[in-house]
Amino acid sequence: MNRTLLIARREYGAYARTVGFWLSLLAFPIFGGLGVGFAYLVKTSEPVREVVLIEEGAGASGLAAFVRAALEEDSERQAAEAREAVEAAQAATGAPVQPAVAEAATSATRSSIRLVAAPADLAASAPGSAQDELLRKYLGKDVPKSERLDAVVFLQRVDGKPTARVWSASATDSTVRRFVSGALKSANRREVFAAAGIDPVVVNETETYDPDVKSFSPQSMSGGAVTDRDKIPLLIGLASGFILWSLIITGASILLNSVMEEKSNKILEVLLSSASATEILTGKVLGVALLTLTVLAAWGGLGAIGLIIAAPSWAADVGAAILEGGLLFYFVAYMVGGYLMYAVLFAAIGAFCETPRDAQTLMGPIMMVLVVPLLVMQMTLNTPDSPIVRILSWVPFFTPFLMSARAPSDPPMFEIVGTMAGMFAFALLMVWIAGRAFRAGALSDVKLSWKSFAGAIGRGR
Amino acid sequence: MTAALTLEGVNKRYGDFQAVRDLSFQVEKGSICGFLGPNGAGKTSTIRMILGLQPATSGRIAILGADDGRKVRDRLGFLPEERGLYKKMTPVDAIAFFGALKGLPTGEGRKRAREMLDAQGLGDARRKKMKELSKGMSQKVQLIASVVHRPEFVILDEPFSGLDPVNQQGLETVIRQLAADGATVLFSTHVMQHAERLCDKVVLLARGKKAFEGSVAEARATSPRFLELEGAIAPDQAAGLPGVAGVEVISETDGVRVIKAALALGAQGQDALKAAFLGGLDVRRFELREPGLHDAFIGLTGDNPDQDQSVKAAEAAR
Repeated sequence: MNRTLLIARREYGAYARTVGFWLSLLAFPIFGGLGVGFAYLVKTSEPVREVVLIEEGAGASGLAAFVRAALEEDSERQAAEAREAVEAAQAATGAPVQPAVAEAATSATRSSIRLVAAPADLAASAPGSAQDELLRKYLGKDVPKSERLDAVVFLQRVDGKPTARVWSASATDSTVRRFVSGALKSANRREVFAAAGIDPVVVNETETYDPDVKSFSPQSMSGGAVTDRDKIPLLIGLASGFILWSLIITGASILLNSVMEEKSNKILEVLLSSASATEILTGKVLGVALLTLTVLAAWGGLGAIGLIIAAPSWAADVGAAILEGGLLFYFVAYMVGGYLMYAVLFAAIGAFCETPRDAQTLMGPIMMVLVVPLLVMQMTLNTPDSPIVRILSWVPFFTPFLMSARAPSDPPMFEIVGTMAGMFAFALLMVWIAGRAFRAGALSDVKLSWKSFAGAIGRGR
Repeated sequence: MTAALTLEGVNKRYGDFQAVRDLSFQVEKGSICGFLGPNGAGKTSTIRMILGLQPATSGRIAILGADDGRKVRDRLGFLPEERGLYKKMTPVDAIAFFGALKGLPTGEGRKRAREMLDAQGLGDARRKKMKELSKGMSQKVQLIASVVHRPEFVILDEPFSGLDPVNQQGLETVIRQLAADGATVLFSTHVMQHAERLCDKVVLLARGKKAFEGSVAEARATSPRFLELEGAIAPDQAAGLPGVAGVEVISETDGVRVIKAALALGAQGQDALKAAFLGGLDVRRFELREPGLHDAFIGLTGDNPDQDQSVKAAEAAR
């Protein structure tokens, strides 16, 4: 086996045999799953607030009924949305939704407010200090939990307009206040329309009307109507950009640490007496590349399995978008170019450093630059051809990420060819520069700075 | 004898600092050569140039018939001054890996690794990770890693540093065995005793310049013999003895001094002893000492080999 492959194999094995590698490999899908579960948990674990409505004065008559009706409407609307989501999922995936999942979706949409009858003593009390005392009692912790209230809402009319005073057990929880405010706004609107002689039924229909707006585009899959599936390529492109960013930076960072460890453990000099700097650099870059490909294959495999099980018809569309739309080619090309650029740069920096603190001098500005594509990539979903995205796509350091994200929106061919040629030319330049820096850094004891780094590149060894 | 290594007029300059000046010497095939000098004298720079890790600023280097060490790297073994191996590897894996880099099949490398570890008394450490081994054990493993492919030319940079006396003795045995097996050995050190015991030839280096090249005996011959006198003697009394060229007080306790009296070339120690007794000097101990390589180094360079010259070099560069 030649020296480059030997070094690559050692590099791969050194990381692939660690528990940390497998943890980080599984972390992405596990945390992805946990993220969904956590969002559901947050929603379902939200406490249901027990609220009492009290109408103050004859003028307030009917306001409680209005708030109650608004709450029922809200619950019905959420339940309907959940049903629609389940139906849409069923239609999109081509597989029946499990009853447990449907049940979970419905329970996640339950209202966070429940209206309860006022305790007799509170209902009978007149405004004043006695009522205040009762309020504090029921909102405090002195009464048994079963009798405790979360909020008491006093509904009134001031100058004929509906208003409310909301007493809450928590000074920071504004859920009840916001809901009551919305309900009273709606009540006022209906009353105003009714006063103007407009039938409340008409008002209700007007308020609940949800127009059916359909999108059409010649670029859609059908050539006409736009569906959610038309977004699949764009979403894949955006995901590719982010995954590429994550993989490239992870791989390059592994290289940085690996070279740094060899430098601090005085292994680099022994290696250099056994293999050329080019063989060492190439072997290490190759080994870590295989490592990142392993991660990619694992993520891709798990994603594909998950998609096939959960949404078979979407899986076919995703597969088609990746394979037929050329996204796979772009992804591979941008991954090779991007990885090469960053990997050799990070390895060269590592050759000058013995501790992470040494590396910070150069890594700080580089990491700041790397944030730019993360921010700009999100724009590619809606405006992939905006001037800022197009201009930054020509910056070789950003090309892999931005062009991956833009690829599904069919950018002009001259941009694809031009940016790719620029990226590969720059990557080769980086290989040359980093090779010189690596040779010089491996045997150097100088303190790392931009000046010493540039000097090393100039000397070459 | 044919030369395995030849340096002709080699110079190495780092910016304003000249690390190696006009260095020329030869190492014959199958011999053990000591490359001696204080820290900072230019030994490591020279070794790196021989291996092809650094280019010479000027001059010519030929090793095993090649004009660049990189062209024959598979035939070379190298133990650097600052040592280290992959901490999470086992000794067998580490030795086999470095052997494989030198062209030794991995299976054969592992087999030889086990045999050599056993021979060095490290059989029990085979399956341990490098980070679990003591410093001495790690250094032995690294030495094995540098010679597992049975190189024709072995370069050891300060191989004795950091080793306890027992392991130093063990290393001397290994070096002798390498030479007995036909390898040429060049090792650098600033501790002259190792060179005295091991070397067929020594090259003395001070401030980047060669001060001497030849056998240990020839090096010693450049330095005068000396007397060690102990007693209530004044330095000027010792200096007045026949054949004494110079004196140095080594120690003094309650008026009793230990004096080192250098003899002029050709002078006889017995003459000085006779004169001391005839003169009634209070001599309680008298010893005629042959000069060591340490003395020869001081005599030839005016420098102490134990003194760090890297500080001086850095100051000179400034």
